[in-house]
Amino acid sequence: MAPIDLLFTVLNGLSTGMAVFLVAAGLTLIFGILKILNFAHGAFFMIGAYVAYSIIGSNPSSLWIFILAALVAGVVVAALGFVADRIVLRRLRNVDEAYMLIATFAVVLICSGVVKLIWGVNYASVNPPPLLDGAIAAGPLFIPSYSLFVIVAGFVVYLALDIAIHRTWIGKLLQSVANDGWMSGLLGINVPFALTSTVVVSFMLAGLAGGLLLANQTLSPILGESYLLLAFMAVIIGGLGNVRGAFLASVLLGVIESGSSLLIPNMPGMATYVFVILFLLVKPQGLLGGHRI
Amino acid sequence: MKIINAVLFLACLAVMFTVPLWADQGILFIAGLVLVEVVFALSWNLLFGFTGLASFGHAAFFAIGAYLCGYALRAGIGAPFLLLILAAGVAGAVAAVLTGMVLLRRTTGIHLAIFTLALAEILRILVGYSTALGREDGLASIPRPSLELGFASFNLASGEAYYWFLCLAATVIAAFLWLVCHGPFGRILVSIRQDPERTTFMGINVPAYRLAAFTISGATSGMAGALYAPWAQIVTPESAHWIHSTQPMLASLLGGAQSFWGPVVGTVLFSIINYSTRNLVGLSELVIGAVLLVIVLAAPSGVVGLVRELRRRLSARVSQTGPGTEGKVGPKGKLVQEAA
Repeated sequence: MAPIDLLFTVLNGLSTGMAVFLVAAGLTLIFGILKILNFAHGAFFMIGAYVAYSIIGSNPSSLWIFILAALVAGVVVAALGFVADRIVLRRLRNVDEAYMLIATFAVVLICSGVVKLIWGVNYASVNPPPLLDGAIAAGPLFIPSYSLFVIVAGFVVYLALDIAIHRTWIGKLLQSVANDGWMSGLLGINVPFALTSTVVVSFMLAGLAGGLLLANQTLSPILGESYLLLAFMAVIIGGLGNVRGAFLASVLLGVIESGSSLLIPNMPGMATYVFVILFLLVKPQGLLGGHRI
Repeated sequence: MKIINAVLFLACLAVMFTVPLWADQGILFIAGLVLVEVVFALSWNLLFGFTGLASFGHAAFFAIGAYLCGYALRAGIGAPFLLLILAAGVAGAVAAVLTGMVLLRRTTGIHLAIFTLALAEILRILVGYSTALGREDGLASIPRPSLELGFASFNLASGEAYYWFLCLAATVIAAFLWLVCHGPFGRILVSIRQDPERTTFMGINVPAYRLAAFTISGATSGMAGALYAPWAQIVTPESAHWIHSTQPMLASLLGGAQSFWGPVVGTVLFSIINYSTRNLVGLSELVIGAVLLVIVLAAPSGVVGLVRELRRRLSARVSQTGPGTEGKVGPKGKLVQEAA
C-alpha cells in the first residue's frame, strides 16, 4: 500500500467519522442527560434531509443556500422534537431500557411511514453546491471539497457542543441535572425545562446533520438506518453519553470503515462490527466511560 | 372463565387449520408466514418476557436454520425433513451456546443488545459474501420436501399440504415452549427477570439458567427458520438483517411480553394491519407505529394484558354483587397472571 493511499484512506475515514459524529452528537447528548437511547434519532435525521431537499432541490444554487437549508431543517426537526418530547420521551423517563427502545422504534415506524406518504419511495439525490463540487489538489492528493466541508462541519459542531457543555453555565447546569435530577430540582433548577431543551437541541442536531450530509448520497426512506447503526456504535464505544468519547469513537469508526473498504472491499461493515465486539469485550465501559457527558 | 378460554383457544386452532379451505392463495401464504413468525416471536419472548434479556440479533438464529434447511433441500441430500428441522434446531442451539457463553456472563441490557446486533450483522455480511449461499441473491427455488414417516409418506409440494404441516409443527413447538415456560424452569426464569440478585441469593445459578434459556430460544428460532425456507422457497441475507430481528420484538410488545400468548396475538395483529393497509405505501408503518406507541405508553402489558385487566375488572364487578367478593381475584389469581 502506497503512502498516498494511506493518507487518502485516513482523510476519507476522517470525513466518514465526522459524518457519523454529526449524527451521533444529538444521540449522545440525549443519552448523557436523559438516559434515553433514542432509536428514532436516525429517522429524524432522515426527515431533516428530506426537509432540506424540499428547500433546495437537486441542485443547490450556492453554498449559503445549502447551509441555510440545513439550518432550517434543524429548526423544523427541533420543533418535531418538542412534540416528540411532549408525547413520547417525557413518558419514557424511568422506564425499562427495552421499553424505551421499542417506543422509540415505534416512532421510527411512524416517521418512515410519514416520509413515504409525503415524499414517496423513489430515490432522490442532491449534488453538492457549486463551491463544494470539485476537489482540491494537494500535491498528488485529490481531496473532494465536500469531504473537507463535512470534516469542518463536524469539528465546528463538536467544538460548539464541547464548549457549551464544559465551559458555560448552561453546560454546568445540564451536568448537574444529568448527575442528580432530584437534587438539582431542590436547588432551584427548572429540571423539566432543562430536559426538554436537551431533547430539542438533540433533535435540532439531527435535523442539521440531515441537511449538512444531504449531498452525495441517495435520499430514500431507509436513509435513517444507514447512519444510525454507526452512530449507535460510536455512542456505545465512546462511553454512553460522553460527547468527547463519541467524537473520538466516531473518528475511530470512520477510519476503520474506510480502511476496511480499502483492504476487504467485498465485506462492507465487517471490520467495524468485529472491532465493536472486541472493543466492548475488553473495555465494556467505553473509551471515556465513567465521565458523564 | 376457564371455559371461555378453552373455547377461544379451540376456535383459534380451528381457524388456523381451516385457512386453506376458505382463503385464497395470497392469504394462505401470509397465514403460513404468520405461523413461522409466531414461532420466532415465541422464541424471542422466552428470553425477553420470561428471562428479561433483550436480544437484538435474533434473526441470526432464524437465518442459520433457514439457510441450513434451504441448502440441504436444494442440494437434495435426501435427509428426512423432520431431521433437517431438528438439525436446524441443533445448529441454532450451538450458535446460541457459543455466543451466550461469551456474552451472557458479562453483559445485559444495552450492551447485550449491541453485541447481539453486531454479531447478527456480521453473519449477514458473511452470508452475503459466500458464493455457496448465493451471495446477496440468496438461495432461490427451494423445493418443498415430502414427509417420510416410515409407515406413510406425505408430499408437501402443494401449498395446502405444507400449510397443514406448518400448523402441526408450529403447534408442537409452541406447546414445547409453553411447557418450558410453565414448568419449574419457567418459574425460575421469571424470578430471574424480576430480580436476578435475589434469585442468586436463593441458590440459583443465574448465568446457567440464562444460558439455558438463550439456548432453547436459539434452537426454536433456528427451527422457525427451517420451517420458513420451504414455505417461502427463497432465503436471502435479509432474513438475518436487524430489521428482521425487530419483528418478534414488535409482535411481543404489541401483544404483551409478560404473557405467553402475547407474541401470538401481536404477530396476528401485525399481519392484519399490514394486509389491510397494503395498498397505500407508508400507511402500514404509520398505523403499526402509532398502535405500538399507544400500547407501549398506555398499556405496557400489551393487548393480552389489556384484555386481562378488563376481564379482571368485569369479574370484580360481577362478584361484588354476589357473595364471596374476595374469592375471584385473590392473591392466587395474581400470581398466575404474573407467571402466565
